[in-house]
Amino acid sequence: MEEGRHANIRLDAVAATAPIECEVLVIGGGSTGVGVARDAAMRGLSTVLVERGDLATGTTGRFHGLLHSGGRYAVKDPQAARECIAENIVLRRIAADCIEDTGGLFVTTPIDDPGYADRFVAGCTDTGVPVEEIGVAEALRREPRLNRRITRALVVPDATIDAWKTVWTCARSAAEYGARILPYHEVTAVTRAGDQVTGVVARNQGGETVEIRAQVTVNASGAWAGLLAAMAGCRVQISPGKGIMLATNHRLVQTVVNRCDMPADGDILVPVRTVSVIGTTDTLVSDPDDWAVTRAEIDQMLQAGENLVPGFAGSRVLRLWGGVRPLFQDHAPQESRDVTRAHAVLDHRARDGVAGLLTITGGKFCTFRLMAQDAVDAVCAVLGTTRPCRTADEPLPDSEDRHYYVLGSRLAGRERTLLDEQVICECELVRRGRLTDEMARRPAPSLDDLRRAVRLGMGPCQGGFCMYRAAGILHQTKHLSAAEADRALLAFLEERWKGYYPLLHGDQLRQAWLDDWIFQGVLDAGHLPLRAPARRPDTETAQST
Amino acid sequence: MTGQPRTAAADVVVLGGGMAGLVAAVRLAEAGLRVVTVAKGHGSLRLSPATIDILGYGPGRVDSPAQALPGFAEAHPGHPYAVVSPAAVAMSVQWLKEHVDTYSYVGDPSANMLLPTAIGVPRPSAVAPETMAGGDVRTAGPMAIAGLGVFKDFHPALAAENLQAATAAYGRPVQARPVLLDLPSAGQPDFGAVGLARRFEDAAFRSQVAAELRAAVHGEETIGMPAVLGMDQARSAWTELQQATGRPVFEIPTAVPPSVPGMRLASALHARLRRAGGRFVLGAEAVGPQLSNGTLTGVRISSAARVAPRMCRWVVLATGGLASGGIEVEVSGAASERALGLPVHGPGPGDAGFLPGYWDDHPMETAGLRVDSRLRPVGPGGEPVYPNVYAAGAVIGGARPWREKSGDGISLSTGYLAADAILEEAG
Repeated sequence: MEEGRHANIRLDAVAATAPIECEVLVIGGGSTGVGVARDAAMRGLSTVLVERGDLATGTTGRFHGLLHSGGRYAVKDPQAARECIAENIVLRRIAADCIEDTGGLFVTTPIDDPGYADRFVAGCTDTGVPVEEIGVAEALRREPRLNRRITRALVVPDATIDAWKTVWTCARSAAEYGARILPYHEVTAVTRAGDQVTGVVARNQGGETVEIRAQVTVNASGAWAGLLAAMAGCRVQISPGKGIMLATNHRLVQTVVNRCDMPADGDILVPVRTVSVIGTTDTLVSDPDDWAVTRAEIDQMLQAGENLVPGFAGSRVLRLWGGVRPLFQDHAPQESRDVTRAHAVLDHRARDGVAGLLTITGGKFCTFRLMAQDAVDAVCAVLGTTRPCRTADEPLPDSEDRHYYVLGSRLAGRERTLLDEQVICECELVRRGRLTDEMARRPAPSLDDLRRAVRLGMGPCQGGFCMYRAAGILHQTKHLSAAEADRALLAFLEERWKGYYPLLHGDQLRQAWLDDWIFQGVLDAGHLPLRAPARRPDTETAQST
Repeated sequence: MTGQPRTAAADVVVLGGGMAGLVAAVRLAEAGLRVVTVAKGHGSLRLSPATIDILGYGPGRVDSPAQALPGFAEAHPGHPYAVVSPAAVAMSVQWLKEHVDTYSYVGDPSANMLLPTAIGVPRPSAVAPETMAGGDVRTAGPMAIAGLGVFKDFHPALAAENLQAATAAYGRPVQARPVLLDLPSAGQPDFGAVGLARRFEDAAFRSQVAAELRAAVHGEETIGMPAVLGMDQARSAWTELQQATGRPVFEIPTAVPPSVPGMRLASALHARLRRAGGRFVLGAEAVGPQLSNGTLTGVRISSAARVAPRMCRWVVLATGGLASGGIEVEVSGAASERALGLPVHGPGPGDAGFLPGYWDDHPMETAGLRVDSRLRPVGPGGEPVYPNVYAAGAVIGGARPWREKSGDGISLSTGYLAADAILEEAG
């Protein structure tokens, strides 16, 4: 469903001058943090979550959208495979509206080890991942664009999941259970009383300082967990692993397609909503905010796609991005038996002699609910209470009817009301009311936040047609000054450029140039009053004023 | 399949149906040559705000294109304006004014008007339809910017507030306030510019708008409206609205394609072309030169899934730049010219075509053909590739048309001059 009975839940605007008191403070608004907040709130703990940006803008919002069956790990990491299939089943039960049941295929392409398929079947069987072999002809019938030289095809219950929708519905559910969700609250200091962490000081969008006092603070900041722990005087060794992804302008396949070999770069092609995403790579980076993508990485993805779907390198690529995995490395002896674990809950009292702080890190999007459960179990242990976790059974908002999302859902929803309301984004069929509801729900949304929230401008024109409209509506609906609306528009244009400038070519370059004509040529956005200072030195007229 | 010419020979094949191609085709046809225009699509003219921007920024704001052009050309040796004289620009503007007869174009290259955009930036244009000129903030008094709730492509509040701030920064503040008209939409809440323009051709609808405007607008205000005041009947719709409101009215180009003023201009030029006996073939694409002993004797045209040569004595190449697909960039980063395979001047494979900042000067922006003083595309040595091929419009590289606000002037003047060069040879 496009939106449901929970649509009216608003986010906290902010800003208490008095400190906010709670039992559990969660740092990080990715899938793990929001999962922890929901779990803790459902167990009756008073909970606050802070996130430095918008929800799901770190690693969570930057992955390929694959809900693993566990097949990918069946040979390499059986424990991870077991966790994946268990959580795959749970998420299908509780988050159906976020999931498209595409199914998954592992195919042996000409560059794959022909012997891997048998090991794969054995691994799946051992770890409980359902697997079924189908004939090559049947695989090609299901996916006509697939490389016709594949030699084997194995079906597993992979699916695709909308990370933004999952996180936002989790956040709304958490708020319904009383949690306060505070996006755009960046932690500037972790407060301590002796060896006890007592909470954090955060700065909000308006530059105001908010103090939050908590009995237990959960560091769920993923790839940033090491930086955050250091603020509390603790040590967590995170190796940020960058992966890049590219989205094409339509769906090249309808099923998740994986190469049937040991995990490698560019070996997954995922149909997500209206696009296909290819991924990914794995490069160690020193800074979790460094996800810059190189031309060589793009070429690598295009070539890798060619092996799965011949002609891929010529497809129209809309956008590229990188995400940084929180790869957890810990050589502390007490953790060594857990080396193969996908995620870890660290109690800093035992590790660093600092009480009241837990770090949950490692892991994968698919296991975020389990990670949250483990983290909140540890929180309860610290608080000396036993409360059962209910997140494996209670559906997320809008998923109560347990109907999977299907690709035509939004169109079906629009068809009934086509004559009743304006369509603001034609590519993604975003109607005006949906957009203004989302604007109303947030204290100070950027156009990029709205893009993620309602998929505004995510289609082939990448906001070329809808962002002027959205800026005008934002200006009116939120009673912004023109300068604020302009700033939102300019920020969107700059951010979008970062997402596609290295790969502009072919038809998508034509699209980008049409967009550029609209914004720089027709609207002359380059000379909005906001940009005047930068241009004034070379402007005769301005010099004379 | 490609052996014998199957179509009647023409004197000139014009490739491309945008501003540059249409101007060249009309001139040549009116001079009595047999002209066939071959266009892949409708051309970007229909997406254009249809102001004739000659030079707006270079990079500081330009008050007089006529005065600024010589210095600009000197500072930008690879620019199309380095081969087009200011006198030729002025002549082409005069020619256009005489050839659009559905309504008047006003202004000239001696001074830029500053016409509000749909986001409220005063944009420098030398020449514009009479329906827009009243918005010139150099002289305008207080304004009421009027939008319609059923029209999502024009936001009067944002435009008015920005316009006030921008004109204040430019040293001559113009009062502007928004007005939102609430008109009966006949159950249809979502009009595009074209649908709304058609409604403005209906007298009853116009009088409803006029009544709303009379109620909302104050005594001394000039009324700014989105450029949807009629399609073919724009002049009478605009005139009537001014009479009915008793106030000056001006149009503001809308952001999202298609553009109503662009469609009006395209339609006026097409009518001229038809009257002059020029042929226009839509949905066909040039895929290469037809050569005979190294001499270009025609163009190979792909249409309806077959390729056939179209024989001619001269070619005007006006297929457009990066946006129109006349210049194509491959995945490797190499830029090529699509129709005739002419050498492109621009970043090569491995060069950075685009820089990380949106507002940076991207090397790829200026990719395109280099031409000689007669607008013939040249090779690396500066020699014309074919003596009988002339280039016009955005396929010529060296400009940053949207930043400079120079694209219309380049297309108009090079289309005009390409025709000149051919007429000279034809005698």
